[in-house]
Amino acid sequence: MCFFDEPTTADSPKARVEGIAKVTGKGKYAAEYDVAGVVHGVLVGSTVAAGTIIKMHTEEAKAIPGVIDILSHLNRPEVPGLSGDNKTKFGLPIFYTDKIFFSGQPIALVVAETLEDAFYAASLVYADYTAEDFNTDFNKNKIDLKADGKERGSFAAWQNAAIQLESEYTIQNEMHSPMEMHATIAEWTAGDKLNLYDKNQGVNGVQRFVGGVFGIPPENIHVSSEFVGGAFGSGLRVWPHTLAAAMAAKQLNKPVKVVLTRPQMFVMVGYRPQSWQHVKIGADKNGNVLGIHHQAKNTTSLYENFKDNITGITRKIYKVENLKTESAIVPLNMSTPIYMRGPGDCTGAFGIESAMDELSYKLNMDPKELRLKNTSVINDPDSGMPWSTNFLNECITQGAEKIGWENRNPVPGKKIEGDWQIGYGMALGFWNSGRQRTSTAIQLEKTGKLTVQCAITDIGTGTGTGMRNIAAKNTGIASEKIKIELGDSDLPKAPSEGGSTGLASVGGAVVAACEALKIKLATYAANQNANYKTIKPENITLENNGIGIKNDSTAFISFDELWTKNNLDTVKVEATSGPGDERKNFAFCSVIAHYCIVQVHSKTGKIKMQRMVSVADGGTIVNEKAAANQVIGANIGGIGMALMEEQLADNNFGRLVANDFAGYHFATNADAPMIEVSFIGKADPNISAVGSKGLGEVGLIGCAAAITNAIYNATGKRMRDLPVTPDKVIMS
Amino acid sequence: MDKQITISFSRRWFLKGTSALTALALIPRSVKAFFGDIRDQVFSRKQTIPITININKKEYAVVADSRTTLLDLLRENLHLTGTKKGCDHGQCGACTVHIDGQRMLSCLTLAAMLPGKNVTTIEGLADGDELHPMQEAFLECDGFQCGYCTPGQIMSAVACVNEGHTNSVEEIKEFMSGNLCRCAAYNGITEAIQKVAKQ
Amino acid sequence: MKPFQYIKATDTATALFSAKKQKSHYVAGGTNQVDLMKDNINYPDTLIDITTAISKDITATDKGIIIGAMVRNSTIANDKTVKDNYPLLAKAILAGATPQIRNMASTGGNLLQRTRCPYFFDTALPCNKRKPGSGCSAIKGDNRMAAIIGTSAECIAVHPSDMCIALAALDATVQVTTKDGSKQSILFKDFHRLPGTTPNLDNNLPENALITGIKIPVNNFYKNFSYLKLRDRDSYAFALISVAAALDMNDETIKDARLASGGVAHKPWRWYEAEAFLKGKKATQANFAQAASIATKGTKGFEHNAFKIPMLKAAIEVALTNCITV
Repeated sequence: MCFFDEPTTADSPKARVEGIAKVTGKGKYAAEYDVAGVVHGVLVGSTVAAGTIIKMHTEEAKAIPGVIDILSHLNRPEVPGLSGDNKTKFGLPIFYTDKIFFSGQPIALVVAETLEDAFYAASLVYADYTAEDFNTDFNKNKIDLKADGKERGSFAAWQNAAIQLESEYTIQNEMHSPMEMHATIAEWTAGDKLNLYDKNQGVNGVQRFVGGVFGIPPENIHVSSEFVGGAFGSGLRVWPHTLAAAMAAKQLNKPVKVVLTRPQMFVMVGYRPQSWQHVKIGADKNGNVLGIHHQAKNTTSLYENFKDNITGITRKIYKVENLKTESAIVPLNMSTPIYMRGPGDCTGAFGIESAMDELSYKLNMDPKELRLKNTSVINDPDSGMPWSTNFLNECITQGAEKIGWENRNPVPGKKIEGDWQIGYGMALGFWNSGRQRTSTAIQLEKTGKLTVQCAITDIGTGTGTGMRNIAAKNTGIASEKIKIELGDSDLPKAPSEGGSTGLASVGGAVVAACEALKIKLATYAANQNANYKTIKPENITLENNGIGIKNDSTAFISFDELWTKNNLDTVKVEATSGPGDERKNFAFCSVIAHYCIVQVHSKTGKIKMQRMVSVADGGTIVNEKAAANQVIGANIGGIGMALMEEQLADNNFGRLVANDFAGYHFATNADAPMIEVSFIGKADPNISAVGSKGLGEVGLIGCAAAITNAIYNATGKRMRDLPVTPDKVIMS
Repeated sequence: MDKQITISFSRRWFLKGTSALTALALIPRSVKAFFGDIRDQVFSRKQTIPITININKKEYAVVADSRTTLLDLLRENLHLTGTKKGCDHGQCGACTVHIDGQRMLSCLTLAAMLPGKNVTTIEGLADGDELHPMQEAFLECDGFQCGYCTPGQIMSAVACVNEGHTNSVEEIKEFMSGNLCRCAAYNGITEAIQKVAKQ
Repeated sequence: MKPFQYIKATDTATALFSAKKQKSHYVAGGTNQVDLMKDNINYPDTLIDITTAISKDITATDKGIIIGAMVRNSTIANDKTVKDNYPLLAKAILAGATPQIRNMASTGGNLLQRTRCPYFFDTALPCNKRKPGSGCSAIKGDNRMAAIIGTSAECIAVHPSDMCIALAALDATVQVTTKDGSKQSILFKDFHRLPGTTPNLDNNLPENALITGIKIPVNNFYKNFSYLKLRDRDSYAFALISVAAALDMNDETIKDARLASGGVAHKPWRWYEAEAFLKGKKATQANFAQAASIATKGTKGFEHNAFKIPMLKAAIEVALTNCITV
């Protein structure tokens, strides 16, 4: 907690609370804590995709000077949560099975005094396996689809619609690829207590999970995750390497550090699963959508079921009376996927938003107008509840203006500059805005220094800065006097930072804590001024180093005086806030409209993003710069998804190929134009006291379709298989 | 320190090679790890070398394993963790430092090769509490999110300006493409460099 | 990484003296060598640091230019003589890797870069180049990046360098000092090998020999040239296809032409027949298209890389056009 910037710099309100720590390299990420006596663990992965381990060969590795131990299923410590019937409850039963479920599955952890020795010894460990059949081919086996959500209206009713569109869309596996590789330092201390420095998106979740596995109370586990170098969903659960580090630390009675290698990041911390979608739409000649049938499949592992909610967006975004959604999961010899930025909806949006674009051309209608005609901005068509706020149509209109949509040629392939074909595309994004129960503590010192504490992690979204800005607004205390502490399980409890719920969750709790602080201070102030006895918190101000009452200048009492007269030390309050009855009355969503101009080289297939414009409705924008940064980054993630990101498996060997950053491409600086982002900026009055709706996910949702729709407008080539690498343009 | 270092092998030992796998390009089922070769070799015991390296204008005398990279030396031995490991294979740029004023990758630089050279890391960029203009610009332009690639971006950005590759947005973007940012704070990074280049 | 003994050689003689058959490797820039050692693909007993043993100089004469083997890639790209007289080389270098890697990578090392075939890097899978006789996983596997010409039943990997494509086009010579101290010059076209039955050998550099420099003869290709690189993203990626094209023009007539490609073969590939066709012809789209057709007629794709043939054809046309328009 000591690494966040002390709020001393004059311009700190302009920058992030942890900004100086980040630009100076002082912020400590999980693997960077200096723990006395720490030793290094390197995981060894299986070389086969299926089978049973017959023999572990560890002798050569053990002979390396400096090697301390090699953990495997043969010698792991007793872990109650992984033994007996608990095996599947905790995902991959690391070191508690001799079965291989996927190639690269961790089979041993080599622990050595130095990283160099650990890596070398790990390269000498191998196993003999029995032969077993495996499958990593998503398309090999037929899988039956099942209903996914309640069917609306009648499927038969629209089968004779005047305009029909039916297409299939596929996307390869995508990798979260946060720049910081997952890492854990585990150290057991007296009384069966465990200290973890760990990369994750929710310290309390790690406590509960690891506590469950090791059979100890969660409060015996201290989790520190102050700085998290990106995650995008990969930190939403505890992965085997964290358990391996804790096991080794227990076995050896030494602190153990395990940092994944980049190739291990591709098989040990989840991914966005490969998907197939089939979308059928029926519409009348005026562009009224009469019915949609959306089917989807995604990869899962053999040891856990993971379903991406791919058809969810179709159920929510358009007012469709007749709707059928179906899905299935495809078990393969792969590791388990995990939610990746804009999970489900991001995949689904590529399907539905490509299909809507295809429909618009069939209708000979502006795709923007087709959207405006069919969006469901009053009610959530799925639950029937009214949207609390939904400014999707405003996003569509403003975005079209910004990009100069009127310059789009509705006929594909007609806008040409030399060898380049120019195309305009657009698509929508939608995300359910959630909020979770969160606690926050605030403490005020006599000097007016305010400290706001919450266990929530900040994975780069600017959560800490948002907390500071909300605290400043709700107390009147200047930003430069506010210090933020987060990412530590000793702090008041918080949910995982995921699903774009972070700010809505912690924001509400910060507001509640600010109120609690005002009420507490008022009880002391009432000793000096009776007007404080019945005052409501919204009428209390904490400006100018003292407490005051709005429109009552005589009521001001300086903190100095208040503290002295009441003999106060630090004043500390804690408050908890979460979703309430508003969830029974309203549905909540964040929405976005993406527009882009692409240029496609007619000969070489090279695609270049010329402009990208997004207009988002995220409710109140607490920090304009960080919010824009989020959406900009998500858009560039969308460029990656559309044009380059794919992780392939070699189905002959059942093993990922080119699983590193030379093989798995995501966007470099040069791949992205300067992204143009703006916000509607209207508060959602019901979601929380802050009025903010999450933006992290929605920024990515729909991007890929906007780009492929633009490619179609440029070339007349409909790209239904992501990513659209230049070879696909040439060959289609 | 430029003189030839010759340390005789203190000990050698042979490891029995694994029998060569005769199967052709078939699925390796009941196989031992496929590469095998590394075990077929005679190998020497690890060599440790006393070296002195100038890092951020300070001399560090260390005894380094010949295998130790500058990156691991910084992070694991000297606890200068500002330099980040994002891939360990020269594929991301997070470990960018300056060696004799040039931006280079510390993950592919062996510590043993550094005596006589001056290394600057992110920790050596600021002048005490006075941030380097590029650090200020990154703060102001919000040129980061999670912050993990940021030290590498900043070291690279400083070099980009020094090299004069700032004549257009496109040029900046191309010459900053050796530093991946998964949060994709590329707008802010580019703006920060434009800002400093103008100064 | 396997332990090794580090030796710093301060001159060529010491470096050569320290070298032992197969058991020792040289390290210069380290960008490929250290990477391969981390991946347990290279595992020398002795690593000989040659950064101060070979030339860091660029020497221009009226016959050509000699680039010391230790000259860093970025130094070449920034060198005035190179930019003025051999700009194709500078352009190709700047299309490769990143500023950081170019600041580290040496000229000699660039020639010795190993393939980026994914199977070469995965020590759990067969690869004839890494482990002779184990089989080629790419032929029936993920061969999207693989070669389309000069392949063998043993290997379909491609050479990864950009710089070497320009050097091939410019008829460079590789200067070598062998273990016994004798000097050799190897024509660039003879330096790299095709895979044949020995894909483990990338080139004809004698064992333990040192590359000391590269010589490029004076030429007239500094006015009309282009380097086109097509890849999966805009920067920091290996080529799907790259084309180095250069024309020596006499008004509208092509006096001489050079055409070479990366991403197509186990070595930098010269399209001699297409070059011969262009000589004496007018620089027209039709002639460029014809040259591209001639170049691609001997190519053959695999399951996932058949696209490279039309992509190569288009790239040659565009590169030739860029020679006279950009």
